[in-house]
Amino acid sequence: MEKVAAFLGAGLSIGLAAIGASIAIGMLSAKAMEGIARQPEATNNIRTSMIIAIAFVEAIALYALVISLILVTK
Amino acid sequence: MNIFEHLKQVKIIGLEISGFDISITNGVLIGFLAAVLVILFFLAAANQAKLKPTFIQTIAEYLIQFVKDEMLSPLGEEAYAWLPFIVSIFCFILFCNLLGLIPGVVPPTSNINFTAMLAVIVFFTVQITGVVRQGPVGYVKSLIPQGVPSLLIPFLLPIEIIGQFARPFSLAVRLFANMFAGHAIILTLIGLIFVFQSYLIVPFPVLGNVAIMAFEVFVSFIQAFIFAFLASSYIIGAVRTEH
Repeated sequence: MEKVAAFLGAGLSIGLAAIGASIAIGMLSAKAMEGIARQPEATNNIRTSMIIAIAFVEAIALYALVISLILVTK
Repeated sequence: MNIFEHLKQVKIIGLEISGFDISITNGVLIGFLAAVLVILFFLAAANQAKLKPTFIQTIAEYLIQFVKDEMLSPLGEEAYAWLPFIVSIFCFILFCNLLGLIPGVVPPTSNINFTAMLAVIVFFTVQITGVVRQGPVGYVKSLIPQGVPSLLIPFLLPIEIIGQFARPFSLAVRLFANMFAGHAIILTLIGLIFVFQSYLIVPFPVLGNVAIMAFEVFVSFIQAFIFAFLASSYIIGAVRTEH
């Protein structure tokens, strides 16, 4: 029973984190594209800051991955 | 099959000092190799520095200029004092990450102990710099955002102090989780072949792995950049007295 709960929790944790992270990445890139369309000369700056922000978002999803791996290998 | 299998640390030379296990494992060896490679790279770049730069010198100069402009520009002239620290952190993490992409090599950055060590170095550098530069009282004052009503300070100060301690944790886990997850995905894709037990499925995981590997090269650069970027932004926060 404990094993089942651990697997369920692992799946839920990474799944929910993926939902949040994908919404965040979608919003980020949509806004970045909007910015690039408005100001094509700022493309490079916008792209670098977008990639940095996406890496932060990705890291939060990966925290959940670590938690789920801990739960699975418990 | 265990998902940690290919990232397992194997002891090569067992060492133990007063209860602490400081054995040389395969990951530690790769860490040493990365350090040696960083040193050799910059020695080769600086050895015959010319006005008309060689190939390696161009890369090194571009890298140093990039770090100075992108990360340390708010420091002005003082940026030159912090450049060696940030550039060595960047190059060391980058070489560790890239060496880990060679099949059969365990990247040291996929071990939480290694990344925690790097994060703790950054943490102590930032705290000691802050205390030395601004004085103990000034440093505690600089933790409180300006324009906060004095009634709120007893509540804000503990949160800010916890925030200071959360920084090395997030630095360590971000780098570790990124490198670990990449290698876990590669193993999982290959593992699909064994799950389906069919030769027909083979091209898809292998082609997928090519894409994942290319992405991992990108992630190696991004994570080294993020680590150095955050370290330098923390240092800028500790060095600058006026907020």
